[in-house]
Amino acid sequence: MLLAVPALCLGAPLAAQASTGASSGSTDGWIRLAHLSPNTPAVDVYLYSFGDSSALIVLRHVAYGDVSPYERVSAGTYSVAMRTAGAAATSSPVLSTSAQIESGHAYTVAGLGPAGGLRLAILADQLTTPAGHALVRVIQASLRQHVVNVALGGRTVAPDLAFATVSAYLAVAPGTEIVRVTAADGDANKTVTLAAETVHTFVVLDGTGRLEIVDLEDAAGNTSIPASGVATGLGGTASPAPATAVWWLALVAAGATLVLAGGTRAWLLRRWRVTRLTRLPRKVRA
Amino acid sequence: MAAVGVVGLLRTQRHTPATLIASLPVPAGQVAAPPRPADSRPVARPVWLTIPVIGVQTTLVRLGLTAGGALQAPSDWSVAGWYTGSPRPGAIGPAVIAGHIDTRTGPAVFYRLAKLRRGDTVYIRRADGTLVVFSVTKVETYLKSTFPTQSVYDPTPDAELRLITCGGTFDASTGSYLSNVIVYAVEQSR
Repeated sequence: MLLAVPALCLGAPLAAQASTGASSGSTDGWIRLAHLSPNTPAVDVYLYSFGDSSALIVLRHVAYGDVSPYERVSAGTYSVAMRTAGAAATSSPVLSTSAQIESGHAYTVAGLGPAGGLRLAILADQLTTPAGHALVRVIQASLRQHVVNVALGGRTVAPDLAFATVSAYLAVAPGTEIVRVTAADGDANKTVTLAAETVHTFVVLDGTGRLEIVDLEDAAGNTSIPASGVATGLGGTASPAPATAVWWLALVAAGATLVLAGGTRAWLLRRWRVTRLTRLPRKVRA
Repeated sequence: MAAVGVVGLLRTQRHTPATLIASLPVPAGQVAAPPRPADSRPVARPVWLTIPVIGVQTTLVRLGLTAGGALQAPSDWSVAGWYTGSPRPGAIGPAVIAGHIDTRTGPAVFYRLAKLRRGDTVYIRRADGTLVVFSVTKVETYLKSTFPTQSVYDPTPDAELRLITCGGTFDASTGSYLSNVIVYAVEQSR
């Protein structure tokens, strides 16, 4: 794909410089928190910049199935602590972990597993997709259905996915499809619309008496990236190009040279006349 | 001759016309909440943009791609346009809005875009009347040869904004500016 400079000016498009990372030049990343443990009560989630004692962000009463929006944070090291909902900020956390946020990258810090074996997993979240495709993955957070199969349209996305695990990403064609989750004692369907350049995470949850599917849109980009820019300037407010100034400078230089040449000639003539006068024959001076 | 040259040089330094409004009032209206990741619903299309601190106020036209795949320019110098291939402002991803910096004879809608600073506020009104509020994170000017396409158009996991116009040195021989000015902004969380 040719990603040329979006020149908002007239002119030929140029090839873009290749770069890595979602956002070159930015020093921010993104982090979100998720409670995906079916039999763990609601928690308060604290995000600290590593070493700070006061929290950057506090999410109160995060219950099973809740996934927060991404927060944009400076790249660096962070601590995440989960406390029982309503507990004092100074009380011992139920769980805590540290996370390294790289610039241009996004992460989900998820409480996974059963209440007795709860852990905080740090998931690296994809933001960019293969051109013209969407990306999907599955987080299996159903304790009742220990193993599930997930298909999208006619295609298998995650076969035999165990509780508290995350499938790999799969690139799919954009479109509206049905996500089908099948398990030993139940199944669920959901219609989802996947635009090109979007990343989705399907979360399988224990609903009231049945399986539930949540469709998370993790990231979205441009469905069609402009190949080159648009002319948005014709120079009416610009200082003129250096070429114009050069001509004026040349005029100044030419004029100055003439002045200098004329002055030098006059000075030389004076010197020569003086010299001639001082060299008159002795006979005349006497 | 030298005197004529010096006068010519002085006249080539044009002065900024002081015809633009210095600042505008903050718009009133219901502020939209940032998008939630779960089962996200479509948001209304953008119809109007204002940047009070630099006196910008414009309806938003829709921009597509030309036959050659380039981003269309607004045909009206005094309005900005939202690229319909980009996410809607306030939905997840980078919404792209472009506008002219100037015409052949004077300033256009995004003439003062490069004067924005981190923390300045951009307001966009949607067709349903809600306001999306963005906070500027950075303003960059890039030469065409080093334009970071990824950081302008790549997907983001939050609702962001890219305001684009021309800038830098104007090359009279090609009739175009040599650089682009990009304003990056992020939807304010509540």
